[in-house]
Amino acid sequence: MSRKSNPSAYLFVAPSVLLFAFTILLPIVLTFVFSFYDWNGIGSMTFAGLDNYTRAFEDRIYLQSYGHIFGYIGATIVLEVLVGLVLAGLVTSGHKGSALFRLAFFTPVMLPMIVVSFLWKFVYNSDFGMLNSMLRSIGLGNWAHVWLGDPKTALIAICFVSGWVYAGFYMTIFYSGITRISKEVFESAYLDGANEFQIFTRIKVPMIRALVDTGILLCVLTGFQSFDLFYVMTNGGPYNSTEIVPTYLVKVVFSHMSVGYGSALAVLLTIVISILGVLGRLLQRKDSALEY
Amino acid sequence: MTKKWLFGTAALTVASAALAGCSSSDSDGGGSKTLRIAMSSPGEELISVWEDIGKQFESAHEGIKVEFNYQDDDTYQTVGLPNLLSGKNAPDLYFEWAGARLETRIADGYAADITDKLASSGLKDMFSEGSFNGMTFDGKTYMIPTAGDVTNVIFYNKKMFEDNGLQPPTTWDEFLAVSEKLKAAGITPIVAGNKDLWTVGNWAGHLISRVVGEQAYSDALELKIPFNSEDFVKAYGYLQELWDKGYINDSVNALADNEADMMFLNEQAAMHPIGSWLVSTALEETPDLELGYFNLPEIPGGKGDQQSVIGVLNGMVVNKNSELIDEAVAFMKLYSSADNSKKLQAAGAVPITKDGIDESSMSPLAFSLNELLQNATMVVSPPDTGYSIEVANALNTASSEVIGGAKTPEEALAQLDSTIAPLKK
Repeated sequence: MSRKSNPSAYLFVAPSVLLFAFTILLPIVLTFVFSFYDWNGIGSMTFAGLDNYTRAFEDRIYLQSYGHIFGYIGATIVLEVLVGLVLAGLVTSGHKGSALFRLAFFTPVMLPMIVVSFLWKFVYNSDFGMLNSMLRSIGLGNWAHVWLGDPKTALIAICFVSGWVYAGFYMTIFYSGITRISKEVFESAYLDGANEFQIFTRIKVPMIRALVDTGILLCVLTGFQSFDLFYVMTNGGPYNSTEIVPTYLVKVVFSHMSVGYGSALAVLLTIVISILGVLGRLLQRKDSALEY
Repeated sequence: MTKKWLFGTAALTVASAALAGCSSSDSDGGGSKTLRIAMSSPGEELISVWEDIGKQFESAHEGIKVEFNYQDDDTYQTVGLPNLLSGKNAPDLYFEWAGARLETRIADGYAADITDKLASSGLKDMFSEGSFNGMTFDGKTYMIPTAGDVTNVIFYNKKMFEDNGLQPPTTWDEFLAVSEKLKAAGITPIVAGNKDLWTVGNWAGHLISRVVGEQAYSDALELKIPFNSEDFVKAYGYLQELWDKGYINDSVNALADNEADMMFLNEQAAMHPIGSWLVSTALEETPDLELGYFNLPEIPGGKGDQQSVIGVLNGMVVNKNSELIDEAVAFMKLYSSADNSKKLQAAGAVPITKDGIDESSMSPLAFSLNELLQNATMVVSPPDTGYSIEVANALNTASSEVIGGAKTPEEALAQLDSTIAPLKK
């Protein structure tokens, strides 16, 4: 019996193929189809051609939300990856009690994001929040601010919380990378008279370069996933200044009930993420050609 | 990733719709019929009253089974009800909000004209005339009222007013004078929590309707006329003044509605513009707080009715496609009876029938707010329940920008017009 025409093989893969088709493939195809219609999700669908797409390119809030998301990603690369790297360098420098710090920095990662969001929303509250109360109690009352209600500070405030959570996460990744560097490298560096800073910049960082690249890529891609933090803390406000694509999509689809337009926005988002993913891979390939 | 869960939701909706279609096991054995009633879940205590009324109805009408369908509030408001209505076992009687939402149901052919049945069954006389606001189109009535909410009045702290020798203002100038005195006394005059845009949105909507006139307000929201006009600029000017003079909390766009409620109830501000639901929160959280309210003060030279009330009534609609239209009306008559109104009130509802309501056991504020709505010479619909939600959101965004001092009225309105431009077809 030839292997090609064995029908039972198809039966064996059928369950998982069907599951995949119904849960992932079909929705993707449907979203693409919906994006060409004017549809509220329930009533009749009217074909709209490319209207949804042209509207997206004129949608001020949608276009700005990309700006916000890139700003957020840029900030988190600094606040998460870079700070994580520095923390990893510090906790591996062999000082006493570094294990305690490792634990302390990692603790926020273990909290669910939704809890963190509510917690920090309270910290930032301008009337009875911890941050403003603290500033007032140390005599810096005029620094007190409506952190989440001012378009100038709201996005930064959110980025900071993200950093507070994930710096510990990246620290842990980099920490495990650094501890795998063989001891002889450090010993010879000490013998040559290198100080801690030089060891960090010349040995630790270059030797975990691949991990740092992965960290940055992870940071970029998870940036597009972020939702809970924004949704709870500002829900895009004030004045859409913290609107990111996911929060806007939810508004368009579930509040405005514009499933057709929302689908078009989602398709565009997929295209943007795909382009970024390809770019990321190209950059990485180039870098990995370098050897240490 | 975002997309994935979006797809997931879409898939779920499709799947659940398919499942709902499959599970249509008609058990109409023995010639009995089922009266199906759908609503967003009113809470356990009220559900037990509804079911009790269902039993009363079943025992009085042989061969009819009453079946309830309670859905989560958000689901019901968005996809739930339309799915039910277009499904196989569509409800015979369903909960809906008066105004634009009801109009959509009528246009889609899901609301029966019950004008004659209301009169002949005597149900009409069980309510005062005003209770049918927003339920009558072209002289035909499509809804049986069950409750109402004034979505915006200005609550005030009586003690703070007394301490500062103030009276509730009736005109906008008095309102500003009161605010000024409170501010001078070191009290935040007004607190609002507008993070989700509908709180100030409602208030601003009412203010706009007073200044530009109800017709222009409604025309603009229906995209018949542009927003950026002299009258609208003037209306927003009043909001801008509140920010410029520092009468409203500077965290207005950062606080959620419940946070602002708590600040007001904790006596951190003297006035709080919000809907009638604050009364029950206040009774629960701060029963000792002396609470008063006044309707939006009169605006000199405004083109609208200066005694208008912003609010929305809701009630039950009889499905036009139902086979049990008479039974549905009979059910609502039973529901609105004095006995059942008493039971509903005991379970925490605020019924609006003429009889059966025990004023003494009801919070005087809640009662007075009900009266305000029913005796109103003009009821203005809030932007987000009376009109397209997309236009409403754009308007509410503009209102938040003006009250937060981020944009001038002209800028905010110009941007509003450009935001909604793609919706005009």
